[in-house]
Amino acid sequence: MSAIGIAGVKQIKGIVIIVGNYGSGKTEVSINLAVNQKRAGVDVKIADLDLVNPYFRTREARKPLLKLGIEVVVPEEKYLQADLPILSPVVAGLIRQPSDLTLIDAGGNDVGATVLAALADSFRNKRVHMLQVVNPFRPFTDTIESCLKMRGEIERASKMTINGIIGNANLIDETSVDDIYNGYDFVKALSGESRLPLEFITASVELLPEIDMGRFSCPVIPIERQLVPPWKRAVELKK
Amino acid sequence: MGKILMKGNEAIGEAAIRAGCLNYFAYPITPQSEVAEYLSRRMPEVGGVFLQGESEVAVGYMLFGAAGSGERAFTTSSSPGVSLMSEAISYISSAELPVVFVNIVRGGPGLGGILPSQADYFQATKGGGHGDYRLLVMAPASVQEAVDMVMMAFSLAEKYRNPVMILGDGLIGQMMEPVEFSDHLKSEPSNKDAWATNGMDTRKSKERNLVKSLFLDAQLLEEHNLALKAKYDRMKQEEVRYEPYNIDSDYRALIVSYGTMSRVCKTAIDNMKTEGIEVAMIRPQTLFPFPINPIRKAASKKGCVAVISFELSMGQMVEDVERSVQGKCPVYWHGKAGGEIPTPEEVIDKVRSFT
Repeated sequence: MSAIGIAGVKQIKGIVIIVGNYGSGKTEVSINLAVNQKRAGVDVKIADLDLVNPYFRTREARKPLLKLGIEVVVPEEKYLQADLPILSPVVAGLIRQPSDLTLIDAGGNDVGATVLAALADSFRNKRVHMLQVVNPFRPFTDTIESCLKMRGEIERASKMTINGIIGNANLIDETSVDDIYNGYDFVKALSGESRLPLEFITASVELLPEIDMGRFSCPVIPIERQLVPPWKRAVELKK
Repeated sequence: MGKILMKGNEAIGEAAIRAGCLNYFAYPITPQSEVAEYLSRRMPEVGGVFLQGESEVAVGYMLFGAAGSGERAFTTSSSPGVSLMSEAISYISSAELPVVFVNIVRGGPGLGGILPSQADYFQATKGGGHGDYRLLVMAPASVQEAVDMVMMAFSLAEKYRNPVMILGDGLIGQMMEPVEFSDHLKSEPSNKDAWATNGMDTRKSKERNLVKSLFLDAQLLEEHNLALKAKYDRMKQEEVRYEPYNIDSDYRALIVSYGTMSRVCKTAIDNMKTEGIEVAMIRPQTLFPFPINPIRKAASKKGCVAVISFELSMGQMVEDVERSVQGKCPVYWHGKAGGEIPTPEEVIDKVRSFT
């Protein structure tokens, strides 16, 4: 087990769909969950289903992921920079023959989750886990009520049920340890209110050493930031 | 209120509301559509209006009408959309009405691409539409600065009775950064009595206001243009804004760069400093009026052997840099226009090759 394993995430398997509101951090969470699980010995494939966001998508991290042996399903190379709603047929194939862990990174809000309904046939008879990413420092998910509303909108659009919550409280580079604690308390309360399990929370690798892990009753996935603007460097992903 | 994490486009929408603007007319286009998405939720919450026009041409004239009746109004678009609005921008400038335009620039010409670009520099600062008009153009380099500039833009638009344009490259709209909304930037209600055509009932003056841009009489049109020119000259005196970086060092080269490109340059300057190479930067925050004097002064410093304009275009701002430097130092340009942003390493290589 790699050093990252200290955060205590067990192996996660099956088809896992990551949903949430715009900018909740679905893609950064998906990438880091994929990396975390690959390091824990799980075979991982990841599909970029973000049909609504023009920049900062999983496809931008495909090279470092491939290096780790994580297959990334993205639209054809020639359409990579397009803002067209392209659903690669490979995605349906991926769902029919899943890996140990098959991660599906959906687009934001109900609009981004609509595409999941189009894959209903492929999901039939599969064990699918859909997780909602929540960052309470984002507009429209800063209260329990608004998170529950978002959940309902996504479930209606995708015609699927959300099974768990991922706490992704952050202000990117300006996140403090207190933000992580407050964010945890928020998603813990959301978990109680929604009766959905809190699957894990996240914290950047830079903050991890300062965080008291004893405070949490769920695992913590470290975030090695990959989606950075051009004047910053992504954290180098090691095996 | 503490900080929240916002996408540039969302933050721009929220900033307009905080500045007291309740009229938003727009037509969706990547990479700015999230402003419309955001305001379609937020405007009803604050009693404001978001109306999607049938095209950007219609949007331009919705703004003209709203501003003419004394309402704070704004729009957001991206390059091809702003081209379509250019006619209205010229009319609004001539009619001397305050409107805020936000252009989240994408690659061009034509449909171009959806990735970040600064290729609308000429369009924003030199015209785009017809006639002798100027926009006050501000260029944010961060999401927080976009917020501050949008809030400031409404006050400036009313101060000068002139359209103000926020020129942000695609990244400004798409990236997420922590922001806060400070009350001190909240703009004061304007003296719209001077131009609003909202009926005679509440007017102090007995004279009626007229919104127009047609002056058939040669002398009247001449006078109108002279009055506009006097206004643009006043902006040049009072509204130049820029940020100097590492300017107190003994620099060998001066970079001029704005928007997100300037942040790449900052990283490059910091990296060069650790190797003992000093490079300074002037980042124009207003593109019109352009910081001519600060750039000339910085370029004239002893030991400075090159002035380099880094832009996400094929060389537009460099013409204003040359105009500023006036031959006091060799001026170079480096840029890209396909959507890729030069890396800090690329900037360092270029600085090395020019010095």
